[in-house]
Amino acid sequence: MKQLVLICLPMAAVLLFSVPAHAQVLVIANPSVKAVEITKSEVRDLFTGETRNLKEGGRVNPVFLKGGPAHTEFLLDFLHMPDAMVRTCWSRLVFAGQATMPRSFETEATLVEFIAHTPGAIGYITQTTPHEDVKVLILK
Amino acid sequence: MLALGIAPALAQSVSVGDQNLQIHGFATQGFLVSSENNYLGINTGSGSTAWTEAAINVNDEVTNRLRVGVQFHYTRLGAFGGDDPTVDWALGDFTINRWAGIRAGKVKMRWGLYNDTQDYDPGYMWSLLPEGIYGIDIRATDLSQNGVELYGVVPLMRNLGKMEYSAYYGDYTVASNDGIMESFKESGLAFTSPPGGKTPGFDLRWKTPLSGLKIGGSLMMYDAKGNLTNGTYVQPLAFWPAYYGQYDWKKLSLSYQYTKLVQYQTVTTTGAPPATSGVNTPSWFAMSSYRLTDKLQAGVYYTSFVIASAADKSDPASFFHDWAVSGRYDFNSHFYAKLEGHFIDGNAAGFYGFDNPNTLQPRTNLLVAKVGFYF
Repeated sequence: MKQLVLICLPMAAVLLFSVPAHAQVLVIANPSVKAVEITKSEVRDLFTGETRNLKEGGRVNPVFLKGGPAHTEFLLDFLHMPDAMVRTCWSRLVFAGQATMPRSFETEATLVEFIAHTPGAIGYITQTTPHEDVKVLILK
Repeated sequence: MLALGIAPALAQSVSVGDQNLQIHGFATQGFLVSSENNYLGINTGSGSTAWTEAAINVNDEVTNRLRVGVQFHYTRLGAFGGDDPTVDWALGDFTINRWAGIRAGKVKMRWGLYNDTQDYDPGYMWSLLPEGIYGIDIRATDLSQNGVELYGVVPLMRNLGKMEYSAYYGDYTVASNDGIMESFKESGLAFTSPPGGKTPGFDLRWKTPLSGLKIGGSLMMYDAKGNLTNGTYVQPLAFWPAYYGQYDWKKLSLSYQYTKLVQYQTVTTTGAPPATSGVNTPSWFAMSSYRLTDKLQAGVYYTSFVIASAADKSDPASFFHDWAVSGRYDFNSHFYAKLEGHFIDGNAAGFYGFDNPNTLQPRTNLLVAKVGFYF
């Protein structure tokens, strides 16, 4: 049994560290947002323009990153659609007179700064980006 | 070259003071060439570039709950459209609560899958949407109304998804320079000014628990009154329901829509008894598209439009069937090109007598190429 554990442990470690690295995405919001938790479905609805309201937390304003690993992971894991399709969703709403285009930021630092100072703002960053002045929403 | 310079510069929202003022726009240029017949009021038989569109909008989020905005649209489609931009929409949009908002002014009408967005070319892979349902030559009349719209989203219990709704009421006037007025003219009706009336309607769409699947229904209604040079035109409330579904899964998109317009009108001319006539036009389309790469999309659709009330249903003037094959390439996030082929059987939609003075041929093949930019 001990021999089995000794064999399995290194194998498990190899498997664990050979999984392709994905950026750990955090969903962050201005402290004025009442919600503590959020579902992936709610995130998808907010960031594709289907709604501007959270079940618990009132009206919010989604903001995007323009690129980078957090943006790529966010599109893949939360929205399940490529960048061009997300842009199309929003631009159709804007040109139909039904919404304004969300702001987008070059860097995670500027996005965090904007969210920290803008009531109702909600966005996403990688876990390693400093985010002291914003609220992290727990994914349900 | 000018556009190349301007687009990236305007791609960002413009902030004025504490307010969030945004400006967005697009412009497209098309080339169309067809066999046999001229199509959409354009001299397509010889090849034509007479299809240019552009729009610009300004939006201002005055408060967290109130937005105001306006969009101007320019269309030149052969004999239709004109040199002057028109107001596409101009509205105030107020959020009442989580489930409801209200828009007032000139407001786009949500009907079927695409009515409210059909004049935004960059939003589609297709150059031409199914002509029997979203006729590009008659859309200027169907896009918007002057009135109010109540809209919102209501989550359903037990994780059954959510219901999006839109209900509107207002008035409209037939666009003076599109295919509807040309059809009136070709049927012998000479109006002193374009007719118009009321247009109530609603749309209800269920965003199902299956991610990417939506199913819905709409009803657009409209009546019309107008003065002819030799009499009057009265059209009681017409009913135009639409039933539709769309499924988006990763890079694949599938959609279907069925509609049936029922409309009657009574024409009274001096010295003659009132003449009542009507049309009953069931139509549908099935579409599929796939994003092959981040920049390249391809797709195909089939659409059928039939004048069920026609005496001779085998007459090509009583039906319109179209296979469309399309592709779009996005050079970057501002510039794109489209190429599309149409294989049309029948000529019940999109064909006019003024540019087809000889007998219309039953079949038409069409090639459309477009370039566009947006910001």
